[in-house]
Amino acid sequence: MTAERFLALVAAYGADRRRWPDGERPAAEAFAAAHRDLAGPVLTEADAVDALLHRSPTLQVSMALRDRVIAAAASAGGQVGRTGRVWIDRLSLAFGAGWAAAACAGVVAGVIMTGHLTADAQADAVLYQASLLGVDDTEVLG
Amino acid sequence: MTGAAVLDHAGLAATFARGRMATFADPDEDLVRRVGKGDPAAIQAMVARKLPRMLALAHRMLGDAVEAEDVAQEALLRAWRQAPRWVTGKAKFDTWLHRVALNLCYDRLRRRREVPTDAPPDRRDEGPAPDRGLLAADVGAAVNDALARLPDRQREAIVLCHYQELSNIEAAGLMDVSIEALESLLSRGRRALRLALADHRPGAEGV
Repeated sequence: MTAERFLALVAAYGADRRRWPDGERPAAEAFAAAHRDLAGPVLTEADAVDALLHRSPTLQVSMALRDRVIAAAASAGGQVGRTGRVWIDRLSLAFGAGWAAAACAGVVAGVIMTGHLTADAQADAVLYQASLLGVDDTEVLG
Repeated sequence: MTGAAVLDHAGLAATFARGRMATFADPDEDLVRRVGKGDPAAIQAMVARKLPRMLALAHRMLGDAVEAEDVAQEALLRAWRQAPRWVTGKAKFDTWLHRVALNLCYDRLRRRREVPTDAPPDRRDEGPAPDRGLLAADVGAAVNDALARLPDRQREAIVLCHYQELSNIEAAGLMDVSIEALESLLSRGRRALRLALADHRPGAEGV
């Protein structure tokens, strides 16, 4: 590999050897090892640009987008005939079961929370009632 | 949908039939086959594997989160339609999906240029020059800004090779340019980024 080609390769692909073309990587690595005085500064410079590029934040997939894409799979399946019908049925079953499970979990959680809230309210009522004179527990709790 | 956004399987196969991708193994082959049969687990796996990738591609090409979501969603929708009739061995599915998403991005970039606007394009307020580079937390945003200011083709080359981690052969094929032209775009793009982000380099004050 010539010095000119090595410089062009690093200028294009950066300092990370994994990004160098497969066919040229061994020769480029050998060149870098044999010409450290030339390759070193060039690789350092390219590495700084690589590091900056890595700082670019990556947009994360939202649950809403994921749900829309999966819903689109169901509707796309519906446009390809009988196979599509199977798509919709299976997707509805799969994701519907998930929603049903989530709904059940929500109901259970709601019941548990309600129980806690009820108990808390009753405790508050007892404490309040205890601070009063002449009020029977049955008037508060029934 | 414009003509540029339409690219069928045969079209992509023709692109790669010019000897640049004679043989390859497609890691998505089995997954695409299962998606084509409507396997819900495969669909979820495909979403997990490809949606973040398409979203990242579109976001860096367009610089707009909402538009990026639209493009990623549309690309996956086309994947759902294509999967039942996907023919293995002609092109890698990931490459095809990149082509679809890139065409959608270019449709939007073209529309931006065609629609006149009184408002200047959004630009971050960089503040007084001496203060630039002081906030390390802003480096990521500055990089995205610098990417957005690159010419489209330079940005595309860097996004495909650096962020999407495609090989130079795949990137050149997608961009329909030679390897030499791809390397030229990469070099010019990286040089422009280096100059634009000089204040944010490691070792610069406050970074």
